[in-house]
Amino acid sequence: MKGDATIMIRNLRLWLPVTALAALVAAGCMLVSGQFIVTFDFPDPTTITSPTVLAGVAVDLNTVGEYKDHKGDLKDVVDLAVVGSITNLTATATSVELWMVTSPGSLLTTDTAVRAAGVKIWGPLALGASATKKIGWDESAQLFTGRAVLISEIKGDGRFDLYALGTGAYSFRIDKGALIAVVDAGK
Amino acid sequence: MRRILALMLATMVLSAGVVHAGSVGIGAFAGMSIPVLQDDTDSGALYGVRVPVKLVPLVTVEPYYAASNLGDKTTTVAGLSYTRQGFDETAFGANAMLTMGGPVTFYPLAGIGQTKLKRDGFDESFTSYNVGLGLGISPMPKVSIHIRGELQMVSLDGGTSRKFGNATIGASYALFSMP
Repeated sequence: MKGDATIMIRNLRLWLPVTALAALVAAGCMLVSGQFIVTFDFPDPTTITSPTVLAGVAVDLNTVGEYKDHKGDLKDVVDLAVVGSITNLTATATSVELWMVTSPGSLLTTDTAVRAAGVKIWGPLALGASATKKIGWDESAQLFTGRAVLISEIKGDGRFDLYALGTGAYSFRIDKGALIAVVDAGK
Repeated sequence: MRRILALMLATMVLSAGVVHAGSVGIGAFAGMSIPVLQDDTDSGALYGVRVPVKLVPLVTVEPYYAASNLGDKTTTVAGLSYTRQGFDETAFGANAMLTMGGPVTFYPLAGIGQTKLKRDGFDESFTSYNVGLGLGISPMPKVSIHIRGELQMVSLDGGTSRKFGNATIGASYALFSMP
């Protein structure tokens, strides 16, 4: 009995490091991976004049170096945010939403057309009358409602159109707006 | 990898029946957790408790609980600085160690656990794996000091991982032991 135990102990001395090493090698992609920030700057400023005179943003992540570097190894998108400063150009409070049209083409110009063709991905963000609000990363990350569809686009061809919509007879301006995506890439 | 490590730990626990249990202790540790290849979170303090159970000579299985407050990360986007809140991390699991005995020991460790990462807009739990090396110093009977370096891999949905380099120092006290 004591001899069996001694043999087992000897085996374990080898077994732990060898098995751990084998597990690490088997992990492959899990080891050689990281989380990288990809940002896409919106035209500055982006002014939405009215519900019938929108200013869409044609996003092409393929123009972003960090995205191009990792596109072939992209496994997931682990964090999203839309940041910038939004100013309400009217004396009426509004709620700002971000909508996405997945098939890029000619940019749409009306609220009705965007709601018919797109999907809401972010918001609402309450914006007081004539107010200016800087949207931070933490706050923005919590406002995403359409993560899955946006992640699908980022993992796909990286091309889609974004539109900021409001409620009522809205008009607002986005200064230094940008999309932030933290991509999860591994070989 | 999950199966291999789980099998390894399960077999070690079962193998305890072959010989008598060695000892059971309790310990605490603290140190730093340093994200590896992660642009969106920064280093932070790491602390926790361990319960070393010596199952057979040379082999110790150690359930643990750890918590870390990872640092915020600031990035400049479109000319403005934005700060992303670092993760609040909690983890529990068990490590297996090859402890050689004696007043000074140098040992490898490997383990499996569950890690929860939480911050604004994100709150999820993942399976995690640990591998590392430790140095144990026993200045007096029943008391040992442990200095460890670990790679903690938090397995993500895409088949990738968030990795953390953890450096800790801790102390353990042997509550009781069996011959």
